[in-house]
Amino acid sequence: MFKCVVLSSCLLSPVLWAADAPIGWVKNVTGDASVSSHGVLVRAESGTAVWQGSVLRTGAKSSMGITFKDETIMSFGPNTQMSVDEYLYAPAQGQLSLVGKLAKGTMNYVSGIIAKLQPDAVAVNTPVGMIGVRGTQFVVKVEE
Amino acid sequence: MPFKAGVFRSFLIPCMLAFLLQACASESYIVLLENPDGHTGAVTVSGEKGKQLIKKAGDGALLDGSQAPAPVAADKIREDFGEAMAARPKVPKRFILYFQIDTTLTAESEGQLPTIIAEAASRPAVDISVVGHTDTMGKADENAALALVRATLVANLLKDKGLKYHNMTVESHGERNLLILTPNEVYEPKNRRVEVSVR
Repeated sequence: MFKCVVLSSCLLSPVLWAADAPIGWVKNVTGDASVSSHGVLVRAESGTAVWQGSVLRTGAKSSMGITFKDETIMSFGPNTQMSVDEYLYAPAQGQLSLVGKLAKGTMNYVSGIIAKLQPDAVAVNTPVGMIGVRGTQFVVKVEE
Repeated sequence: MPFKAGVFRSFLIPCMLAFLLQACASESYIVLLENPDGHTGAVTVSGEKGKQLIKKAGDGALLDGSQAPAPVAADKIREDFGEAMAARPKVPKRFILYFQIDTTLTAESEGQLPTIIAEAASRPAVDISVVGHTDTMGKADENAALALVRATLVANLLKDKGLKYHNMTVESHGERNLLILTPNEVYEPKNRRVEVSVR
């Protein structure tokens, strides 16, 4: 029931196109990394698309760098898992949001335009606490 | 002797607690860094044990919010985050091109096109967005159309001059995303623009 409501509100949204377009691209990979989107897992390489809802993973001795449409940058060290749960970038409609979850591993984060235009729209959740981003760069480590 | 041992124990336990907290600090934590552009913003952590605001580059805090921010040694940052930091892609670059009237670029902006193409060529899997804008003169729907014409024109000029890209989007923000905030019906050359983001 809840899903139906969410889905129909998406369909009515003026930013429907946003759900159909990549939100970022993998720029570089060393070792083994993957991007899981819409239930399909692909081995990540330079040029792999990232979508709202994608789960990003790196294996042992591996790393991956991603740049998003709003110029947010995330790069990951080994044994990392991050999901991009919500990503809205439609500045002309005032629709801005970036919510992710770092389940484990290490990340270097450089904030982009979403954080600049609407700082309270950006959050990185972790199993122990939530990170609020006020236009900046940070590194974060989550141990299981 | 038993009395002395008791004193020793009561001294030892807080020490061990302090040590454990230090050990926790090596588990789940965040460190604020200076932005690539030289500014430093701030981050907040909100966990079940409290909320902290970090606003000094090099300061870190546990993600559970239990400890006030404190400096983190550069060696430790390198050890824990060296690989993630080394994987950071090149910081995106943004170009703003201005128009004389309607759909004619200023000479200076036209001269920037080769710089944009060279910047794109220096990046892996480069993705580019070309977004058109207008000032607030005229009707909003006509400005939305005009901004799209401007963005399309710039995209085509870049392609004609040899731009290579992995992905490109061409969009219009019409008069809804002003660079210089003005009331309606204001002629403002700085708002008549196309922004090209090279990522």
